[in-house]
Amino acid sequence: MSEDPVVKTVNPVKIYQNGDVPVPAVRGVDLQVEAGEFVAVMGPSGSGKSTLVHMLGGLDQRTSGEIWISGKRADTLSESKWALLRRRGVGFVFQFFNLIGNMTVADNVELPALLAGASPREARQRREFLLGELGLAARADDPPARLAGGEQQRVALARALAHEPSLLLADEPTGNLDTRNTRDVLRLLSQVHKKGQTIIMVTHDHRAASCADRVISLLDGQIVDDAPIPAARRGPRRNAGDVIELRG
Amino acid sequence: MHVIHSGNVTVNTQCDYAPVTEEMGVRLPLLALLAKEPAHGYELKQALEQTFGAAYPSPNIGQIYVTLGRLEKDGLIRAVAVEQSSRPNKKVYFLTQQGREALIAWADGPLEGPRLRDEFFMKLVLAPMTGIADRGALINRQTRHFLGLMRELHHLSETTSPDDRYAHLLIEGAMLHLQADLDWLERCREELT
Amino acid sequence: MAEEGPPGWISCARTATSDTADGTVGDGTVGDGTVGDGTVGDGAGGSGKDRPRGGLGERIGDIVGGGPVRRWVKADLRARWGQALLAVLAVAGVVTALIAAATLLEDGTNPWRGLFAESGGAHVWIHTASAPDAERLAKLKHVSAVAGPYRTAPVSITRDGRRMAAVLRHGTPAPPAVARPLVREGRWLSARVPDGVVVERSFARALGLTPGAPFVVNALNGTRHSLVVTGVAESAEQGFYPEWPGLIWVLPETLEKVEPALGRSEFAVGLRMTGTDPDATRLLTQQVAIALDNEVGRVITWQRVRASMELDNRLLGLLLGLFGAVGLVAAALAIANAAGGRVLTQSMELATLKSLGFTRGQVALTLMAEHGALGLFGVVLGTVSGHLVTVFALETTPVPSMNAAVAGGAALVVLIAVGVPAWRGCRTPPIPAAPAAPPRGRLSHLARLALLFRLPPALVLGVRDAFTRPAHAALTALGLAVPTMLIVIGLGCWATLDAFLADPARVGQAAALQVRQGQLSPDETESLVRSDPQVAAVYPGTEVEALVLGQARTVVTRALGTSRAPYPFPVVEGRAFAARGEAVAGQGMLDLLGAKVGDMTRVTVGGTPLIVRIVGRVVEPDHDGEVLSVGLDSLAVKDAEPPEFYSLVLKPGADPAVVRGRLMAAGDGRLEVLHVVNPAERLAVIRLIIVASIVVLALVGLANLLTVSALGLRDHAVDLAVLKAMGLTPRQVMATLVTGTGLMVVVGVLAGTLLGAFSAAWLIDLQGHTSGVGAGIGRTPSPLTLAATVAIAVGAALLVALLPARRAARARVPVTAR
Repeated sequence: MSEDPVVKTVNPVKIYQNGDVPVPAVRGVDLQVEAGEFVAVMGPSGSGKSTLVHMLGGLDQRTSGEIWISGKRADTLSESKWALLRRRGVGFVFQFFNLIGNMTVADNVELPALLAGASPREARQRREFLLGELGLAARADDPPARLAGGEQQRVALARALAHEPSLLLADEPTGNLDTRNTRDVLRLLSQVHKKGQTIIMVTHDHRAASCADRVISLLDGQIVDDAPIPAARRGPRRNAGDVIELRG
Repeated sequence: MHVIHSGNVTVNTQCDYAPVTEEMGVRLPLLALLAKEPAHGYELKQALEQTFGAAYPSPNIGQIYVTLGRLEKDGLIRAVAVEQSSRPNKKVYFLTQQGREALIAWADGPLEGPRLRDEFFMKLVLAPMTGIADRGALINRQTRHFLGLMRELHHLSETTSPDDRYAHLLIEGAMLHLQADLDWLERCREELT
Repeated sequence: MAEEGPPGWISCARTATSDTADGTVGDGTVGDGTVGDGTVGDGAGGSGKDRPRGGLGERIGDIVGGGPVRRWVKADLRARWGQALLAVLAVAGVVTALIAAATLLEDGTNPWRGLFAESGGAHVWIHTASAPDAERLAKLKHVSAVAGPYRTAPVSITRDGRRMAAVLRHGTPAPPAVARPLVREGRWLSARVPDGVVVERSFARALGLTPGAPFVVNALNGTRHSLVVTGVAESAEQGFYPEWPGLIWVLPETLEKVEPALGRSEFAVGLRMTGTDPDATRLLTQQVAIALDNEVGRVITWQRVRASMELDNRLLGLLLGLFGAVGLVAAALAIANAAGGRVLTQSMELATLKSLGFTRGQVALTLMAEHGALGLFGVVLGTVSGHLVTVFALETTPVPSMNAAVAGGAALVVLIAVGVPAWRGCRTPPIPAAPAAPPRGRLSHLARLALLFRLPPALVLGVRDAFTRPAHAALTALGLAVPTMLIVIGLGCWATLDAFLADPARVGQAAALQVRQGQLSPDETESLVRSDPQVAAVYPGTEVEALVLGQARTVVTRALGTSRAPYPFPVVEGRAFAARGEAVAGQGMLDLLGAKVGDMTRVTVGGTPLIVRIVGRVVEPDHDGEVLSVGLDSLAVKDAEPPEFYSLVLKPGADPAVVRGRLMAAGDGRLEVLHVVNPAERLAVIRLIIVASIVVLALVGLANLLTVSALGLRDHAVDLAVLKAMGLTPRQVMATLVTGTGLMVVVGVLAGTLLGAFSAAWLIDLQGHTSGVGAGIGRTPSPLTLAATVAIAVGAALLVALLPARRAARARVPVTAR
């Protein structure tokens, strides 16, 4: 089971119907993401990157093609089966955070854990741990609206991780953040990734994409480039004292 | 070369590869143009003007002949005299195997730093014309390279003490430049492929 | 750093401030590499029994014991408790009104139930010639308690020259536990007032007796005794006077004095049963007959008493049914609107829930649970408050079975009403990333027209607003149209009642007085009543029982007026009879015979066949409409002569009471002049219910409007900011909002009024048809009433719309992407 790629797609196609005019959003994106990979999906707006990641999480139904999640065929699942799959194995982070406004930060984070079947006590422990790690322990009882954008996205990240998903899908997680908060969120994603989390992140921000191991560029619903980001030319630096020789 | 020292981080803001000298700037376009078809000096000047237009200052004919001479001396091109009825003979240049290899090496090599436009732009414009490289591949290669640089900067930023504000500002600046170039590359991809 | 956390691989060393440069981020923790092992996240470590397992069971499990659903519901309710409260109160109000109405109507139509419950009545009364063995009766099956035996003696009372039958009943100064007479005025019997008696209320009314009034009774042996009324009481042991003899409770000594002879007295004993079961009752009466060995004179069961107390017209039932429907629709509307509006505002959060792994069914059940719980809470609250209102405010006894039916019906309606928005909510696509774009409105044709006429910009924008968001506009209009329609139907009922009272002739009550012959001859009687200046017409009449062939039952055949001078029946179909052998019938009669106007029918009156052609249908409020009316000359002479009574139609404006007094005086006590009871007079209680219903409906309508306004403002937040940036003053912004809402309000109210006006008469007639009264009684509220309704509804709605608009116009709304 562990040999199966976390995500594998075979020629998935998504065509939206705009009135009578079919609008293809994704046109056969063959993709394979192994466990522990951090993949950035890039492309200009309208290139189908959000649609792709929505399909991978079952939020959107593919028109044709196959989607395999952890070795299991997923594109044929019903909406409810997808929901079960999500609550057990997929976490989502969105551009607009999408925290439940009526619930406290704590409840927001505990919700997916409870959904996945954790007892309230386990969910609370998990939440305390995550919020503590993200530096938000003090805001647990606040409503999300009282948090700054960056804090909200960190809560959203905690929520996405609350049920320990095997796949974290992030749709423009930094799209609505300023530079500083972008840096914080990206650092968190990198750290989560270093611990082995498989991440697929949609972004149009190159700086965000550079945190990934691998960048997939989409254009008009098709892959135009799929390659690992090359390692630093001179190997890892041992400390910051080294001189950076930035070309240009 | 301007070097800024800030704490323990040193960032070279100037390039340490061969600067784009006048000669350098003409040499490769000439090679590329010759890869397409043999031509004499004046034709090359016209082709340069046609290709780059206002985007690139066209060298005068004297510079072109000097450069051609040097290229010939380096064995990258060779000249054949063609007789003309009413005028003196003119020299028609063509690319040697060595010249072609040099051109391919240039096209394949990623360019450093943010000030890529001059040279990368040339590659981008010239590559498909000569058939030596695919534009998409060029852009992909350049994008990956820049992303690698960006990653390096990230790493540097993470491993740099947060107290070192100037260093961080420097890194930030470099990143923003890189980002602009990456955005421009994406734009190129949208427009040209 | 994560020692205390549960086992997990994420260990972000970073906190908000510590950007440590040590590159050993989280190395020391449990990064155990269990990341990719399958989709079934086992990391949560939930105990197996809690773990949801597919299908319905899982969903229910989530609802019942599950945290996520409960948390969401709790959080949502906390965030909008005001709105939730309003929904609960609306439902509770409707249910309370329904229960109060039903109880009142039940009391009006069936007073026995209340009296029986209040007096702790006995189910079966046995009248015997000699004192029965009470202990033996008490041992019979189903008997829980025994009242009496009481000795009774028949007497008569002379009033206005008439002898009225009455029964003196032995009573003790201490009221009995079972079948306790309920003293309504004055006091119960007391040994200190030996001549004091307590008179049954309907009898006291007929005699005009009040506490303290003296009167004289004639014993069977001819002696006369003076007695004093100390109290007036009600009882569930027999029906009302004059169908039943007047009942008078007296002290044993007084009884002994009036009727010393035991042979002329009877004994009455009441048996209270363990339950109100017809079969057990029948069994008990058989047992009694056996036990008392044919000494039984009469056995009176509770069914008989109840039947005799019931009103024989179904108008009340008709209106009850109507109000039941109205109330339930209002309750459904209130809860559906609250839930629907909420679901609309929450579409984004519902999508987020789905992205977190809520299934479609779970979302639906969550919504059902939340809004259904509110509605059911409202139902419970309403049931309790309805109970309290009936007990304390109306001082009657509640009917548990009816209350349960009302509550059950309301609960069902609430769940259905919640089901629709829940279904809608569960179909929200699970992509929360894209916030719903505000609808891009084009200027509608109407708005263009408005621009053409150089109307103020606020008006144009408001109009545009109303027409570019059809769903919202429809919700506004519908939210008001339905309550308005129901209010107009209520007003229609009111108008129908008014028509009953103002113009009794139209409902078959042309005659206000009825004269029964006393000791005068028919001719004398007729000339006497005709001579009264305020009597417009006199119609001799008689009522006979007619046997319907094939039905094995009798119906009332009423002969009133003659073929040449027929009584002014309110004919709604066909014509009045104009010749011998012609008849008119009520709807109930037509249904019973399976006949329609124009058919011949045959009944048997006292052995004589009566063959008539039904030439018309009349509005017939009596006897469930099962009345055949003919001319007196259509009956055989033996049945027609002499007339049983004369119906007197008075001149317009004449006061029946005055005429009655004058006739009584003229007749010198030898005429019996009865006041014809208008069924509408007994329906006064309906008006109370109409008023209450209108109040509740108005609240429902306003609550709906508030929900929709809140929804509209949410959609508007960005538009408003842009409008302000464009230079609209707060006043203009407010005008824009109010115009948008107001237009839909006017549309909704007008539509509701029209629908209500059309359906009111139709509904009442429909009910009338099914209840035998017959179509033709329904009235539409007057145009003035309708106009006033529209004006008040629109005005109130605009006021309500003004409040949020004002707040929105003043609020500083930043122009931001949502």
